[in-house]
Amino acid sequence: MLTGRHFAMLVFVALCCHEVCAESSVPIPMTESQKLGAVFLDNLSIPSPGEVFAAMNSKSHPNWVTLISSATAPVTSDRMQLALVVGVLAANGYIEVEARDGQQVKNTGREMISVAKALSVSEHLMGRGNSLMEFAENEAWDSLADELEATENEVKNTMVERNDRDLVTLTSAAAWLRGLDAATAIVLETPNLDGISVITQPELARNLAAQLNTLPARMKKSVLVSKLKLTLEEVALLLETMGSTPETQRPNIQRIHVASAALVKEILASTGAKTTPAGRATPNPVRTGASNIASPKP
Amino acid sequence: MMNLRLLPYLSVFLLTSMVASGIDQNRETLPPTNPSHPVPTEARRLALESAGAFTNEGFRIRDAEWAFTLNKGTKAFLQVTLFAGNHYWFVTASPNPGAKLRVTLYDRIGNPLKTQQWQEMGEHGGSRAAAGIAPERSGRYFVGVEILDAPNDLPLDCSLVIAYK
Repeated sequence: MLTGRHFAMLVFVALCCHEVCAESSVPIPMTESQKLGAVFLDNLSIPSPGEVFAAMNSKSHPNWVTLISSATAPVTSDRMQLALVVGVLAANGYIEVEARDGQQVKNTGREMISVAKALSVSEHLMGRGNSLMEFAENEAWDSLADELEATENEVKNTMVERNDRDLVTLTSAAAWLRGLDAATAIVLETPNLDGISVITQPELARNLAAQLNTLPARMKKSVLVSKLKLTLEEVALLLETMGSTPETQRPNIQRIHVASAALVKEILASTGAKTTPAGRATPNPVRTGASNIASPKP
Repeated sequence: MMNLRLLPYLSVFLLTSMVASGIDQNRETLPPTNPSHPVPTEARRLALESAGAFTNEGFRIRDAEWAFTLNKGTKAFLQVTLFAGNHYWFVTASPNPGAKLRVTLYDRIGNPLKTQQWQEMGEHGGSRAAAGIAPERSGRYFVGVEILDAPNDLPLDCSLVIAYK
C-alpha cells in the first residue's frame, strides 16, 4: 500500500529526474566533428563589406568620403581578374553608400554591370542596375546597400549556373580584401587604433586562403590569384602576431594596409600581361565606363 | 480521485519517458555538409517573413540563405564571422507546422552562448525560431539548428537567414 511518505518520495525522485532531463535540453558544447563538419557558405559565412563597415561605424567615426577610390574596371579578358574586380567594385559600392555619394554609387553600379557583361553573367542584372540607379537618385541608402549585395550575389549565382563556381571564391576574397584595405585605413587614422577588433579576423583570412588553395591548378597559376593567396596568409599571420598594445599593433596594421591596397590596385590595373593566359578568354573584354544600364525614369 | 495504487506505475512510466526523451536529445550525428541542397522556397519565404520584423528596428537582412534538411535528433551547424559592435538575429523556418525549432549560437571553440530566443510553432504558418546576439568579440562563431519537438519523425526542409545592424 502506498503511503503518503512513499508518494512524497516518488514525487521528489520524479522532480529530480525532470531537472536532469530539462538540463539535457540546454545546448551542450559542440563536438570536434561537429565543428569540422559545420557548413561554410560563401554568401553567409564570409561577412559582406556592409557588415564590416556597420561594425566600423559603431567603433569609430570614419570619414568615408576620403576612402572613395573612383575605380573603374580594367580592360581585360581574363575571367579570373574580372571575378576579382566584381568583388572590389562591390566593396567600393558599400564605401560610397557609407559616404552618401549617390553619383559614385551609380558609376560603380555601371562598372559592375559592364564587368558582368564581360563575364557573360549579366542577363539577370539589368533590373538590378536600374534599381541601383533609382535608389541612388532617391538617396535610399539602406536599399542601395541591399541592392549592392543582391547584385554581387546575382553575379555569383550566375557564375555557379555557368559552372564557374571557382570564380565565386575569387569575388568573395577580393571583396573582403578591399574591405580590409578600407578598414585598416580607418583604424590607422586614430591614435588608439579604434575599430581594430573588427578587423582582427585571422581565421577568416586563413579560411579564404585555404579556399583559394582548393582552386584548379590552372587558376592557381594566375599571378593575381597566387598573390591574393599569399597576401591573405600574410594578413592572417600579421593579425595573429601583432600583440595587444597600439604600439605593437600599428606596424602590423600598416603592413596589412599597404599589402591589401597594393593588391587592390593591381586587380584594377588594365594589364592583362600580369596574369597567365590560363583564364578562359571572353568575347567581350570590358571597356572602362561602358554600360547599357538604362537611366532611371524621371 | 486517482487511485493511489496506480501512482507507482504512473511514476515509473513518467521516469522512463523522460529519460528516453533525454537520451534522444543527446544523440549526436554529423551535420549536413551539402550547401548545394535545393532551395526550399517556402522555408525561405517564412524565414524572410520572420526576419522582416527586425528590419523595422534597423536590421538589414543578408541577401543569402542557408537551406538544409533537418532530422529529429540531429543538429545542423553553419560557420559565421561576427563583429563586435553589431547586433545579429539568426532566423530559421520550416513550412512544417507544429515543430519546435531552436537556434543556438556557439563561440569559436564550440561553447553555447546566451542569446535572445524566439520561437513559434505554427501560429502564423510553418515553424520558426530565432536567436539574437550582440557579440562581445569579433571572430568565428557557429550557428546550430535543431528540432526540440515535432509531431512526427519526417525530415524538415529549413532555411536560415541572417539580419544585422
